[in-house]
Amino acid sequence: SFQSEVEETLKRIQSHKGVIGTIVVNAEGIPIRTTLDNSTTVQYAGLLHQLTMKARSTVRDIDPQNDLTFLRVRSKKHEIMVAPDKEYLLIVIQNPSE
Amino acid sequence: MVATVVVLWVGKALGVIHFPDFDINIPRKELGKYGLLYYNALFMIVPTLVLAHLTGDVQKAMEYDGWADTVFVFQFVLSCVMGSSRNAATSKKLNASGSATMNKFSQTASRSITGSTSRRSMALHADSKILDKGSLQIAKHAVQVFDEQGKNVTPQPLFQSDPSAVQPKQSKIFTSQDTSGVNASDLLSTMSLYQTGASASFAGPFTRSVFGSSSVSKSSRSTMESMSEEIEEPGSRRDISVYLSDVQVRREEAREQITEELLDKTVDGYLTETETIWLLDMPTVMISVDSEEANTIKQKNNAYVGLCKNRAGNDQYIERMMQTFNGAPKTKEVQCEKIDVADAGVMATTWDMYDTFHSAEVEPMDFHMAEKASQSASFISSGPERTMSRMSSASMTSQSSSAVDFDSVIISKIPKAEEIDPERILRSENFQQDLFVMERIILENIFQPKLAAYRQLPILTESDCYPGEEGVVKKGNADVETIAPTLHRLWAFTCELTTGRNDLLAVGYGKFDFQEQKEGLVCCWSLKNPMHTSPVWQVKWIEQERGPSGDDKGETLIAISADGRITKWYLRKGLDCADLMKLKRTRSEKSKKQPGEKDRKGEALISRQAPGMCFDFNTKDTNIYLAGTEEGHIHKCSCSYNEQYLDTYRAHKASFDDENQSCALFWSMQPARNLPLHSPFSAWSPFSPDVFLSCSADWTMQLWRQDLLKPVLSFTSTNRAVYDIMWSPKSSTVFGAVNEGSVEIWDLAASILDPTVVSPASPGVNLTALLFATKTDCILIGDSDGQVSVYELKNLQTGEDSQICFTDYSYKPHGQNKLAYGSPKVYWETVYWETVLGNILRNF
Repeated sequence: SFQSEVEETLKRIQSHKGVIGTIVVNAEGIPIRTTLDNSTTVQYAGLLHQLTMKARSTVRDIDPQNDLTFLRVRSKKHEIMVAPDKEYLLIVIQNPSE
Repeated sequence: MVATVVVLWVGKALGVIHFPDFDINIPRKELGKYGLLYYNALFMIVPTLVLAHLTGDVQKAMEYDGWADTVFVFQFVLSCVMGSSRNAATSKKLNASGSATMNKFSQTASRSITGSTSRRSMALHADSKILDKGSLQIAKHAVQVFDEQGKNVTPQPLFQSDPSAVQPKQSKIFTSQDTSGVNASDLLSTMSLYQTGASASFAGPFTRSVFGSSSVSKSSRSTMESMSEEIEEPGSRRDISVYLSDVQVRREEAREQITEELLDKTVDGYLTETETIWLLDMPTVMISVDSEEANTIKQKNNAYVGLCKNRAGNDQYIERMMQTFNGAPKTKEVQCEKIDVADAGVMATTWDMYDTFHSAEVEPMDFHMAEKASQSASFISSGPERTMSRMSSASMTSQSSSAVDFDSVIISKIPKAEEIDPERILRSENFQQDLFVMERIILENIFQPKLAAYRQLPILTESDCYPGEEGVVKKGNADVETIAPTLHRLWAFTCELTTGRNDLLAVGYGKFDFQEQKEGLVCCWSLKNPMHTSPVWQVKWIEQERGPSGDDKGETLIAISADGRITKWYLRKGLDCADLMKLKRTRSEKSKKQPGEKDRKGEALISRQAPGMCFDFNTKDTNIYLAGTEEGHIHKCSCSYNEQYLDTYRAHKASFDDENQSCALFWSMQPARNLPLHSPFSAWSPFSPDVFLSCSADWTMQLWRQDLLKPVLSFTSTNRAVYDIMWSPKSSTVFGAVNEGSVEIWDLAASILDPTVVSPASPGVNLTALLFATKTDCILIGDSDGQVSVYELKNLQTGEDSQICFTDYSYKPHGQNKLAYGSPKVYWETVYWETVLGNILRNF
């Protein structure tokens, strides 16, 4: 079923090498699935939501028919990957050098 | 009437009033008000009685029962008295209050016949008064004041009305009234006042004083107003009086009408400019100098000028000040509720505007869609794979609020009746896709350096993909054709399952186009497939140039199996298979080639057909292919001939060891233009079309030419069975071979005798398969552990000796691997059924 496949994939993602956390929040910022603690989740969700909005606005300003599909932010310590959608945000934080 | 007479007589007797006695020679002037009344009443008694008698009222009065009632009698007497006094009052100028009260009284009293008679008499009286308009004026003069000498010092009225001018108007106005005659008389008198407004000063104080004292009844007021409106005076001066009276009237009016409700009413005030009021207009008169009157006028002017000069100190002229009245100012405050101000800001971005336009177009479309959705029931039963707009249509059927909310562009507008279930998000297709992409990227991060090395900064499509295989356990499904294609993301695979399972053939099959990068098929075949009665050794996709029965250029699956058949499978809805060739046993070297002949010499084999081990197609001419058998023979066959071999190449010694027998055939061919479409599958050297390599368990590798039945070259390096061999796609003289213990790279230009590079494998592991990557300098090695290793060839230069080193990136299939890349062709790879797992799917 879809449900189990989704759960399985989520578990798999979480178990990959270097993955620190996986977050799924809905459009209002309420976490649906998360492997981190609540405060961190909320913080990530809020900040990344804003960043995603900005990124999407940028992309669409250049070409309104275009749209943002994926966002990766690589920093010294981690890489944050965001898959945005109208209804949810899928966020994965990974430490690729580990 | 009688009462009037009595009262007046009594009054006279008392000396309260007096009027001259009844003498024939009564001078008119001396009659006085009361005298008039008295004598009038006296005169009227007679005709009234006659009338009453005639109408029968007298009889009625006699028969009236109320005479005994004291209250009635009292009221009767009072009404008579009042009637008489009213009569007296009417002669006064504006005793309106009395008349008003009289009016009321007379109206409220529901009297007897006498009352009616008195009323009638009053009416008559009034009528009589009406008729004598002129006499009314005279009646005013009835009030006379005499000083001690008997001179008449009655104060004269300040103005005289002009009866001739007034009368017609009066009559006209009067006819419009019908209520009280008394008021009419009042009005008449007031009218007379107006009409004769000779000077403003006269009319002004008069009217003011008049109105100040009066309390005018409503009807009179209205009539007066109408009168004032209707009056059109030639002289403008009279208008002033009218206007002033209007002002006065309205002031009175206003006072009476101010009530609670009026205060609460909202009043609309309109400001307009009134007409200009001319107070004095004396236009200049111009006279010609030559006219006759010129001199007189000049003199007059001069006299006037002289007068003005003399005026300064002259006693005849007194300076007088005038002051206009200033109305008392009144401050008025108004307070309203505070107006809340809010700032709103919007940034108009390009995409915002685009969205607005787009949604305006899309909405009517979606509306139609929604309507259709609600109509057809089948629409509703859609699964979650539907797009978001369809999901909103589901909400429509669930009778959500309004269809206007149906906006596929903005999902958040979905009415709340629909479940905002977090599970729904998880189930959505977008989410799954995003998960998929995410996982890819994560793994890319993990393997990034290796991937970069592997790919050598790849462009476009990847050359290699490593799908895994999934072993599906099928137990006891002997009769069922167990094709179980499952959609499998290429990068996830488990491999171990096939280890040790003898009865399973799991093949990883990936089908890729340049566009579709992530599709894969894993087909699991049970070897209990009725089509093949023995293990299938090699399966390969061949692109047929001349496909049978109109199946041009279709991709078909060729399988060669130990039961001696080469079959061609058509991948259609089911799987069809057709035998391409049946490998017949051939005799040993000594015997002649006899197709179809059975050879049972010392063979324990039961079957008639020689077990085929491997095959390979000539890419140039895909109808020609080679098949190798267990016996060690290689047959060249053609698709068009099912029965016969074209050629047989014998070289290898047969081995009866089933386990280790292997034979790989590799064509070589010239590189064709459209190489990517064919499978330069390992085998042949891409540079020479007629040469092919073969290797076998007899520790040797043979180099053949197509037309020679004997190998050209033979290579031996180790005493181990060579399992796989392949030409390097980049170099015409390089090929790789994998034997049990190591990987060998041979460079023919360098040395025929020794391999150029030898790389040993980890102990205990048999290397079973070898594959060259076409686009990169990498080799893929599959081994018996189910592991696929990628080796990078560095510094391999064609035609030269150089250092070659291996970099090993091995991918161990723990659970998941990925690295699926797109490839443009379908590929099958062999799985050695007893050990397994070097599943490599390749593309070119």
